[in-house]
Amino acid sequence: MALRGGHAAAAAGVSSGSEDDDEEAGFSRSYFLAKEKEPSSGKKRARAAGKLSDLNLVDEQVLRASLAEIPPKHEREVEALTRSYKEQYRNWLFELRCGFGLLMYGFGSKKMLLEDFASTTLSDFTVIVVNGYLPSINLKQVIVTIAEIFWEQTKLKRKRQTATRSQLQPFASQSIDDIISFLNNQTSDNGDDNVCLLIHNIDGPALRDAESQQYLAQVSCCPQVHVVASVDHVNAPLLWDKKMVHTQFKWSWYHVPTFAPYKVEGVFYPLILASGGHAQTMKTALVVLQSLTPNAQSVFRVLAEYQLAHEKEEGMHFSSLYTKCRERFLVSSQVTLNSHLTEFKDHDLVKIRKHSDGQDCLHIPLVSDALEKLLQELT
Amino acid sequence: MAAPPGEAPLTAATNIEPFYVLHKGGAAASSSSSSAPSLPSSGRARRRIDVSGLASPNPKPGKRSRDDDAAEDDDDDELYERLRLDAFHRVWSKIQSTINEVLRGISLKLFDQVLRWVQESFSAVRSIARPSAAEVRQPYPLLTDVICRKIPTAFVLTKNAEFVDDITTFRDLAEYLESNGCHLAKLSATELSEKNGVGCCFRSLLRQLLSDVPDVADIFALASWYSAAENYDQPIVVVIDDLEQCSGDVLGELVMMLSEWVIKIPIFFVMGIATTLDAPRKLLSSEDLQRLEPCKLTLGSPSDRMNALVEAILVKPCAGFCISHEVAVFLRNYFFKHDGTITSFISALKLACSKHFSVEPLSFLCMGMLEEDRENFWHDKFNALPQELRKYASGLPSCTREKDSTKSGDNMVDGLSELMNIQKDWSSVLLCLYEAGKHGKVQLLDIFCEAVNPDLHTQKAPNLPNEKSGTSRRFIDQVMDTIRYLPVETLFCLLEVWSIHLNGMDKITNKVKELQSTTISTDSVRITKDKWPRRSTNSTGNSTVALNDKVAMLLDDVTRKFLVSVECLPFHEIVCFKNVSILQSALIGNPRRMVQLDLVKSHKHLKCSCCRKNGIAVLASMHDTSIMCNLAQEYGDVINLHDWYISFDGIINSVHSKIKRKPHTSPSKKKSKPVAAESEAMIQARFCRAVTELQITGLLRMPSKRRPDLVQRIAFGL
Repeated sequence: MALRGGHAAAAAGVSSGSEDDDEEAGFSRSYFLAKEKEPSSGKKRARAAGKLSDLNLVDEQVLRASLAEIPPKHEREVEALTRSYKEQYRNWLFELRCGFGLLMYGFGSKKMLLEDFASTTLSDFTVIVVNGYLPSINLKQVIVTIAEIFWEQTKLKRKRQTATRSQLQPFASQSIDDIISFLNNQTSDNGDDNVCLLIHNIDGPALRDAESQQYLAQVSCCPQVHVVASVDHVNAPLLWDKKMVHTQFKWSWYHVPTFAPYKVEGVFYPLILASGGHAQTMKTALVVLQSLTPNAQSVFRVLAEYQLAHEKEEGMHFSSLYTKCRERFLVSSQVTLNSHLTEFKDHDLVKIRKHSDGQDCLHIPLVSDALEKLLQELT
Repeated sequence: MAAPPGEAPLTAATNIEPFYVLHKGGAAASSSSSSAPSLPSSGRARRRIDVSGLASPNPKPGKRSRDDDAAEDDDDDELYERLRLDAFHRVWSKIQSTINEVLRGISLKLFDQVLRWVQESFSAVRSIARPSAAEVRQPYPLLTDVICRKIPTAFVLTKNAEFVDDITTFRDLAEYLESNGCHLAKLSATELSEKNGVGCCFRSLLRQLLSDVPDVADIFALASWYSAAENYDQPIVVVIDDLEQCSGDVLGELVMMLSEWVIKIPIFFVMGIATTLDAPRKLLSSEDLQRLEPCKLTLGSPSDRMNALVEAILVKPCAGFCISHEVAVFLRNYFFKHDGTITSFISALKLACSKHFSVEPLSFLCMGMLEEDRENFWHDKFNALPQELRKYASGLPSCTREKDSTKSGDNMVDGLSELMNIQKDWSSVLLCLYEAGKHGKVQLLDIFCEAVNPDLHTQKAPNLPNEKSGTSRRFIDQVMDTIRYLPVETLFCLLEVWSIHLNGMDKITNKVKELQSTTISTDSVRITKDKWPRRSTNSTGNSTVALNDKVAMLLDDVTRKFLVSVECLPFHEIVCFKNVSILQSALIGNPRRMVQLDLVKSHKHLKCSCCRKNGIAVLASMHDTSIMCNLAQEYGDVINLHDWYISFDGIINSVHSKIKRKPHTSPSKKKSKPVAAESEAMIQARFCRAVTELQITGLLRMPSKRRPDLVQRIAFGL
């Protein structure tokens, strides 16, 4: 098993894995960790070759366009796999009614699966879908909605007996604890008054904090509330302590890999080839610079040219930059230069470093080729 | 299912909505037709409700029309599902109430101690001063003497490393104190946190005591509430169940505040401590500690509770639900190796119970065990069974294994009654074993696991009583050994207890009585001599030796005769949960391993023909993320994106080059169109999507700014 660096990887990759057994994962890890520290010349070459900038990366827009057109693989098999879970729907419902929370995990988007389950099998429940993968979730609104549903139900029931009593205080203005204690007091012998909270990605970025999980746990053990949730992150169980797992959520785990693409769940993740490398930084830098005055752009150019000319140095002294800029009539005083520099610093175009001689110096945090490209684009 | 067509309004809008109501439930939808969206499945829902009305104890399927067989089957299914659900709720609530009873019984001693302490403290406080209602309401503290500013505080040592088990104990304690006339409030560690501050926790305190909490939650609100005549004569107890998790500052502040008022408003603390008694010292400042008047109390040990629970819910058939040997061993290991909390053990048992009722079609018959006239109940139910279920009942493996007798309702009813009787004997004998084992520090759960082993029964060789013990009888043999070395007095007590347990098994009770009488005679002889705690030599104390052996032999004999595992009995499938694998998978979700396995062995789930050829090689036809994950296995902590991309590209394009070379020899690859190599943009897009998916599963961490070419691997090994 050799390090698959450079172009040799293509051929090697095809036949790879034959000796890559489960047990060997640990071995290979330590092997490569050791390898990484080894300063061999071949390694260096591989390193030198292994940069994202060497790839002929397409423009982000083209990339996004292609992303939408990726032909699905194994469409039939994925569909059959998801369909195979339909047989379990009745069992899931049974367990839900027994008071357990259903927790679905396994690779692939479970959004379709769960919503299909909810719309075909949970017809007796009021189902509230929470898209946990979104970064913009407001848990309080969700809890308020649940409370309002219960309030509506009690109102309907009361209507038959007495005149409608107006709500004392809207739920939205109450604290979450108050609403949860309201939910805890909801009891009904009618099984149809149940609310099912369907949470896609209960481990989603906006729900990952301890407080949200505590609230969800409290809501999940309210008498009329049931929870069906999915997790995708491998470390999701770490979100809960024993109390939450055993006495509140009462999870019943189901391993349901679907292999369906994470279409909506992945929207909020940056594309690795679009923003991961310096290409994006260069582009953002360009956007910022283009919005500045020509003088400011020129000041930046002076700094960039100096940096390209003196690649080995830590950066350019403030005084020499000032002198250069004055020579070219770009700035008239240190104050104006400072204002330009503040602008640069705010947008991460320039960083201040300690020079080896002890003075502060200015540095553009871009690699040389990116900087060159940037200067070309700027003209 | 690629989009359930027309099933639900899954538009793009619902994907980016943080949350939305998918549909309203049956009741809400039918009563408020205006607000309910029209659902294709609502008709089905209504039918199910109608069916629920049929769930009477005596359903008569014969009366239904037979024109629509499928619909009838469906109805039957739903009817029996409902019955099973009802059965689950009844059985579990019985088990749960048994559990609560047992736990409360064990903690009752402590509860009494706490109550006595509360009453003593209250009278002590009242003996210092008895402020009038008006005085209580005055906005300044009554007395400033330090001695009178101490809050009586009971520290309850729980001896549990895991706090979760004590939640119920403290809940019961709170109920107990409340029912004995204390005002009660509970503060959790989350309320006593830095983030919430003392204001929030005081508010929570008020919310629990006052019916209407004012906007400004301050001590005067509490004072004026307490000064009301109906509240005045009782102390207020604040239970903080998990002291170690609280914020010391917030608690200290609360202590300081309340201590000023303790004479006017007698508030006492009950604090649970999981570690050692110096926990409060670590948490609170010395100044705060001076304001507490401590009292130390201790809870019963966890193993006592576990033994009592096993006895009540597993050994004595309290609700008619039992577990097989495999499940018992799994639960035991889960308890000892997983986290050792009773809570997790109970939740595992509950899950097993729900799985049983969910999977086993006839499990609703368990309810019969709870009925007064169970034989009648079973008769009724059996007569109402549809043909399919009858066939199923007679085809149960345990019945076909036994003699092939005529399959009738009586057979099943008899079988179940017989099963109950044998189970009763079994549990009596098991308890006798445990009583003896107690002297050798044997845990009930261990003996229980052995006693439910079906091999124990099949293995036994009546002619060779001392052979074939093997490992399956480790604890039982240990019990026998214990008996052989028991002193006479203990033996006598043991026999006494046995005769209680064996009540109803006349033959054996007589034998026990016989032994008891010999014990008494030997005892009277022995009483003059020195006591023989152990059989140290064989030459002396012949009668003791003989007696001990006799008792052991009796137990051994009884064990072999009556310790028949439930799994050896016909129809045990109805009451006994056996499927350990579904329990395990539902109980212990292991996403870290399973998600990686999904990816590394994707063809196992997808069951496609294209990726299976030589199991381990990475093929272009595989799921993109799966390819990437397989490639990632070859890297260390970090993955070079460039190299990773090149490998990915190579694999994707290898298929195209192959096709180009021999376009006619690979008919199986019809799906991949014989186009030229995938466009660069497409491969990059696929690469990006795979990386994103790996990131969603948490197997990857994105590159840092300092090392933009490297991503970090998170999970290693499976």
